[in-house]
Amino acid sequence: MAEIVAERYTGASIKRSEDPRILTGAGRYVDDIKLPGMLHAAFVRSPLAHGRVLSVDVSAAQALPGVVAVLTGADLEAMTVPGPDPLMALFGAAGPTPEFTLLATDKVRLMGDPVAVVIAESRYLAEDGCELVEVDYDDLPPVVNAAFALDPSSPPLFANLGDNIARPHSRNEFGDVAGTFAHADRVIDFHLDVHRHQNVPMEGRGCVASWDAGLAAMTVYAATQSVHVTRNGVATRLGIEPDQVRVLAGDIGGSFGLKIGASREELAVAAASRHLGRPVKWVEDRGENLMVSGQAREESFDVRAAVSNDGDLLGLDVQVIIDTGAYPGMGMGAMVPDIIQAMLPGPYKLAALGFESTAVITNKATYVAYRGPWASETFVRERVLDLIAKDLGLDPVEIRLRNIAARTDPPASMITGRPLVGVTTIEALERVAQLVDFPAFRRRQAQARAQGRYLGIGVATFIEAAPGPRGPDGGLGSESMRLQLTEEGIVVLFTGQMPHGQSHQTTLAQIAADEFGVPFEQVRVVVGDSDVVPFGLTGGSRSATMTGGVALHGARDLKAKVLDFAAYLMEARAQDLLITDGNVWVRGDPASAIAVSEIGRRAASGQFGTDVDAALEVQATFDGGQGGWSGGTHCAIVEVDAETGLVKVERYVAVEDCGALINPAVVEGQIRGGVAQGIGAVLLERSAYGEDGSFQSATFMDYLMPTTCDIPRIEIEHLETVPLDADVNFRGVGEGGMIVAPPTVVNAIEDALSPFGVRIYEQHLPPARILELIAAADSGQ
Amino acid sequence: MADITLRVNGATREGSPEARKTLADFLREDLDLTGTHLGCEHGVCGACTVIVDGRAVRSCLMLAVQAAGSEVTTIEGLATDGGLGPLQQAMWDSHSFQCGFCTPGFVMQATAFLSDHPDAGEQQIREALSGNICRCTGYQSIIDGVLLAAERNRER
Repeated sequence: MAEIVAERYTGASIKRSEDPRILTGAGRYVDDIKLPGMLHAAFVRSPLAHGRVLSVDVSAAQALPGVVAVLTGADLEAMTVPGPDPLMALFGAAGPTPEFTLLATDKVRLMGDPVAVVIAESRYLAEDGCELVEVDYDDLPPVVNAAFALDPSSPPLFANLGDNIARPHSRNEFGDVAGTFAHADRVIDFHLDVHRHQNVPMEGRGCVASWDAGLAAMTVYAATQSVHVTRNGVATRLGIEPDQVRVLAGDIGGSFGLKIGASREELAVAAASRHLGRPVKWVEDRGENLMVSGQAREESFDVRAAVSNDGDLLGLDVQVIIDTGAYPGMGMGAMVPDIIQAMLPGPYKLAALGFESTAVITNKATYVAYRGPWASETFVRERVLDLIAKDLGLDPVEIRLRNIAARTDPPASMITGRPLVGVTTIEALERVAQLVDFPAFRRRQAQARAQGRYLGIGVATFIEAAPGPRGPDGGLGSESMRLQLTEEGIVVLFTGQMPHGQSHQTTLAQIAADEFGVPFEQVRVVVGDSDVVPFGLTGGSRSATMTGGVALHGARDLKAKVLDFAAYLMEARAQDLLITDGNVWVRGDPASAIAVSEIGRRAASGQFGTDVDAALEVQATFDGGQGGWSGGTHCAIVEVDAETGLVKVERYVAVEDCGALINPAVVEGQIRGGVAQGIGAVLLERSAYGEDGSFQSATFMDYLMPTTCDIPRIEIEHLETVPLDADVNFRGVGEGGMIVAPPTVVNAIEDALSPFGVRIYEQHLPPARILELIAAADSGQ
Repeated sequence: MADITLRVNGATREGSPEARKTLADFLREDLDLTGTHLGCEHGVCGACTVIVDGRAVRSCLMLAVQAAGSEVTTIEGLATDGGLGPLQQAMWDSHSFQCGFCTPGFVMQATAFLSDHPDAGEQQIREALSGNICRCTGYQSIIDGVLLAAERNRER
């Protein structure tokens, strides 16, 4: 019988090992890097959304004392290798590939497009230099929205494409779409818009590139979600081998999907460093971050729903047009429709789905990944359910319970393919309904309305493939980790995860400490050095399962190896040895205990022959085990001021299932952070463009984000999960809050405004828009 | 260039910043105190907050030369013995932060606020910190950390 070893760390809210440094100002972010002889870069950027570059005169800038070099698009073209974005190559993006240069040469394609880079002794001087660069432009008609992009007469942003289509129209059908719609009691149709908003990490993008001519080697200090993807990008565009590039990353001030790969600016900085033979730093300012770093979520949907009179959602037919902005090859916009399609059924019994998509190119910032990039599937589905419920006079909980697939054995599958194994949506919904007490709320709502106050309640559910179930065809990818026991007795984990707030240095250590048998403080998690860590990428809510899993299995493998060696030292059988609290001992003989540091020291002594394996290191990989879904149900109670249009979120409840919790405080931080971004997306945030393509939200006074007074306490309950795997039932939780909060809040606002007859077909609801909706409903439009 | 002398974290420091150099850049570049972070450089996000003569100040909106003769405290100056000060400890205990970039600004803003309002409740603390933006946490854990520090301070 296996010995039961109490898990001391996994499942507990262990305090983060990251915190002492970040709380004392000792974190090391990319802008904190200072190298001898380091120069500073600033970019000359286009004031136009769309234009031809006629001439670039750098002479005055070059003459400014302190300016070391001014490099134009043509200069950089000569120093770098053209080619597709390495990130897209990694993910195998399909579709036509626009051809463009690192910095603009012939054309500018969005406001803020980089045209030249000034390298100077300080950032102040580099910006002075930018002021002196004279660029002549010829205006071109801006392609500012999808409708114009789809118009064959719109001027193509990229000459080699001939039009502004990033991904041509396609249609797929799952189930009997025509039959379902033909036989439905009713078919409703409407248009839904999801507005453009963006990641906005508190630290923008940035890097320090340092070329060593003697070694022909590039070191890049980066803020990135993957040191290897950045390394590969730099190597590809500089025309050198990946092993000539070392990417180092320290603390990273957030990302939410933004900092993947190597941006055009970062590649230009690397090329400049090689050209000048000196280190060059570039850290974007907030204007650059808001204007050009990347934006997300501009999608419009034409939706038809086939419904029974009892409230069964029988089929959906959805057409999406996605506005990927300029430079689609640098983002992920063209990949998003496939994920939206796959996830649209959610946990529901939807039996037929028609799905059409088109991705267009416009003179706006590149569409990038932002926390749950496919989130619009949940917005569309959860909005559809509420709109149907209103038509049929059903309660929002009732219509969902009616349509959610029951957990059966074998599990039902989404009509798009994946099995709904272990999904606990029904339990989450029932628990939410209990916690908020719908009947009591309806009474309070009625009383408030009698006093001219408009309260509303909204629910929404989601599931997320984090990492997703192991399906018949479904590999979950794999994750690698190297682990070693040092001669100081430290268990060291080398991971390709690149945490930027996710607390991996704490959570992975918790798992390894329990599995190996050492105190938490005796585990060190090494990240952020492409020469040292295995390939990896932090994203897609994968790390809990994939990296948590490889930490568990890797620690188990390392322990076995250490015990084999200890057995030799201790003249015992390995199967009789235990490791607890940092000591190896013979079962039943506590006096035999030897510290693992002693085992490590002996192994490192080099005193053993080839017949003894004293290399206390393992390379582990994990295939995700049985995987599984994350998911949950959220509920918001809001009050809308019908005079001012202001919405106050009075209460917010989240019931979630992300499997076994590694560190509840970390999990809850992820949920709350995602919900806050979702509330911000609905009530405040919008990446705004004028009709001429000018960007209108380039400061924090224009791009509004939620503050301490906008986000309520968020009540969280964790459901006991359905275990699927013998060892690894941790599931990802990074994106769910941001996926489900927008429909939750919009549903609540519509409920609050139901006395006015307001129906909501959009996601951005700032006060002015709320007042318009009320006025339009009042006037019977 | 102007020669200035000021006290930073209890020590006398001298420098010759350009007149246009912000206090934030002076602290980070000239004094190597990189704990002060720049989140927007237009005074909205509060990441660069430091304490100047007892008041929380956005160091991106103040010139270094304006701080001549002043007493400046940065995040590096809060802990006296290389450990954590009481507010920092309470924030660690409360899992206040994630990525850590906004952290110095919140810690400095809350430090200044608590020294003037040791009995503040949740709503007052929320209002006092409403000029600092955090993109990771949804704020609850930060508020909890400040409340815990205030509570421990009262019990002391």
